[in-house]
Amino acid sequence: MRTNWASATAIALLLSLSTSAAHAEEVTAWRLFISDHADPKVTVIDAVDGGKLDTFQIKGPASLHRSESGRTVFAVQGSAGVVTGIASGISFEDHGEHGDIDVEAPKLAGVEIAGEKPSHFVDHDGDFAVFFDGEGVARIISEKAVLEGKSDFRELKTDAPQHGVAVAYGSHVLLSEPNREKPDELPVGIRVADKAGAQVGGIHACPDLHGEASSGNILAFACATGLLVVTHGDGSPAIRHLPYSDSLPDGKTTTLIGGRGLQYFLGNYGADKVVLIDPTIESDAFRLISLPTRRVHFAVDPVRAKFAYVFTEDGQLHQLDVVKGEIASSLKLTGPYSMDGHWNDPRPRIAVAGDRIVVTDPLQGVLHLVDATSFQKTGDIAVEGKPFNIVSVGGSGQTHEGE
Amino acid sequence: MSRTLKLAAVIGAMTSLPITPSVAAAENLKVVASFSIIADFAKNVGGDRVDIITLVGPNGDAHVYEPKPADAATVGSADVVLVNGLQFEGFLQRLVEASATKAPVVELTKGGEVLRNTGEEGHHDQDKAAEGGEGHAAAEEGHEEGHHHHGESDPHAWQSVHNAELYVKNIADAFCAADAAGCDTYRANAESYGQQLDALEAEIKAAVAEIPEDKRTIITSHDAYGYFEHEYGIKFLAPEGVSTESEASASDVAALIKQIRQDKASAIFVENVTNPRLIEQIASETGLKVGGELYSDALSDKNGPAATYLEMMRHNITTIKGAILGS
Repeated sequence: MRTNWASATAIALLLSLSTSAAHAEEVTAWRLFISDHADPKVTVIDAVDGGKLDTFQIKGPASLHRSESGRTVFAVQGSAGVVTGIASGISFEDHGEHGDIDVEAPKLAGVEIAGEKPSHFVDHDGDFAVFFDGEGVARIISEKAVLEGKSDFRELKTDAPQHGVAVAYGSHVLLSEPNREKPDELPVGIRVADKAGAQVGGIHACPDLHGEASSGNILAFACATGLLVVTHGDGSPAIRHLPYSDSLPDGKTTTLIGGRGLQYFLGNYGADKVVLIDPTIESDAFRLISLPTRRVHFAVDPVRAKFAYVFTEDGQLHQLDVVKGEIASSLKLTGPYSMDGHWNDPRPRIAVAGDRIVVTDPLQGVLHLVDATSFQKTGDIAVEGKPFNIVSVGGSGQTHEGE
Repeated sequence: MSRTLKLAAVIGAMTSLPITPSVAAAENLKVVASFSIIADFAKNVGGDRVDIITLVGPNGDAHVYEPKPADAATVGSADVVLVNGLQFEGFLQRLVEASATKAPVVELTKGGEVLRNTGEEGHHDQDKAAEGGEGHAAAEEGHEEGHHHHGESDPHAWQSVHNAELYVKNIADAFCAADAAGCDTYRANAESYGQQLDALEAEIKAAVAEIPEDKRTIITSHDAYGYFEHEYGIKFLAPEGVSTESEASASDVAALIKQIRQDKASAIFVENVTNPRLIEQIASETGLKVGGELYSDALSDKNGPAATYLEMMRHNITTIKGAILGS
């Protein structure tokens, strides 16, 4: 059957209008999950109206991680030896031409995973891997299990305690390899294990392994010598080493985040620099960007793919143009936060919630709000205590009456 | 049965032919082509007056391509950006936004006839879109970070040579708008290339005519040949939908194997942009022998059998015919 598109569009439009009027409503919801630097709690703020939604008591100060889907937030409490799952209350369902949003109250998911010194948390395609440094063990659980309140995790053991990392990569698991000669130092490589835990192939060397991120279909680990770049191979992960370019000064990346919308990685490289990495090219894969002072934290913008943000110890938030590889704008937000002192002292952290960039200011007990389009400060939200780590969850979608 | 829709209204907000200053005659037009087949068309129309950069190169899969910051820089400095449209390039909106390009982004399927994605032949959720057909720009708006959809239209319009002629016309129009001084050249090149396309189409029709009608059902990896089927009468079945983004489920594959047996498929082929493993498994289970490699969404490299569009289409029909008649 042939249909004239113009008439089909008109019909579709009429259907859409009538359907919209009767049943569908466009809803935007963003939530901020904030941990305190000193107190064992996670505060949930409605990022749209600034109101507090809830406060969850946990067992220790936490670093926070959100799942790729945004349905789950994890509070990794290293000192308390536990990881707590929180259901964000916001979920999306893909309906092809539109997405539905479901908004419920956030709640503790009822899942805790205990172990010695939990550290790195990695979500890969809905499978969460938490590495427990004190045991050298990775515990892996699916988002589905967490949201059902089931602590159905599986364990993979490495040969020794280490400050390690694990990634559940389809039917394989990537595990950091401890430094056997100097157990207190960083891992030295990546081992691939199959579903049964058996090693696949040799160890992929990655001295001083620290830092992992995904961007699109590429996963990367940061090493002293460059990056280990992981892609889907024929039956098992394909891993190659991308060395730092000769043009870079001495240094290494130890924190890595992955671009959203554009495929790239952003890493630290020395105290006052960041490096943009395109692992798909061999030459000019690394672009070094100098900062005015030492770096405190950095994050990518998941909505405006062109931008990432870097906070520096002089209290400035910088808008980084990842296409041009330069700082596009800078905005003074807080007083100085010196990087002298302990690495885990209370200092600002960045999250992006839709059209807002949110920066914690732990010493002042506020969140600073910056409009992501104009890059101008638009307000503050007061938070009790020392708001420290922050993640955002949310988006827009349709809700349907009666569902 | 697939429905055909007039393409013009499918074009969403991305399509634009804004008034752009013509480039100086001494400078070549800087053209970005989203994938290799479009680049080949552009080369035939633009000749020596254009410099072409291809985002998704030979044997690349545009369905799942992840644009890089360097791609955004390339698009940002282009005079003309040529894309397929119909949501084939799922990365397009974010790339164009990141590039801040002022160049026209020209959807080459504009003005043609579009096949609807039927959605009932082993496809996945994202392909079962409801009525509407909004452009990708609109489809992405209001969604959580980074989510995107595939549309209801089959984007592989180039698989009909008749449509290829439209791509060529639209490229000539775009080049004329950007470089008026070269317009006569572009029109003449398009005319000349169009004659080659006419000859190609006649060859394909003649080849299909030699295949008995009861042997005209074949298997490929993904639903890339709807236009070929519509235009030339070869029936294609595939485990994956119009996008390679989602893998076929076990039930999709089981249903396909059942259908292969019912329809007495004559041959099965791997594609250059997909992993051959699934096709090899289906071949093993159905007793069909893999008849070769077809080129669907990308050309081969220059040393391969499908380095140009003309070569690709000839290779495909020759391979199909050879496998069926040899079976």
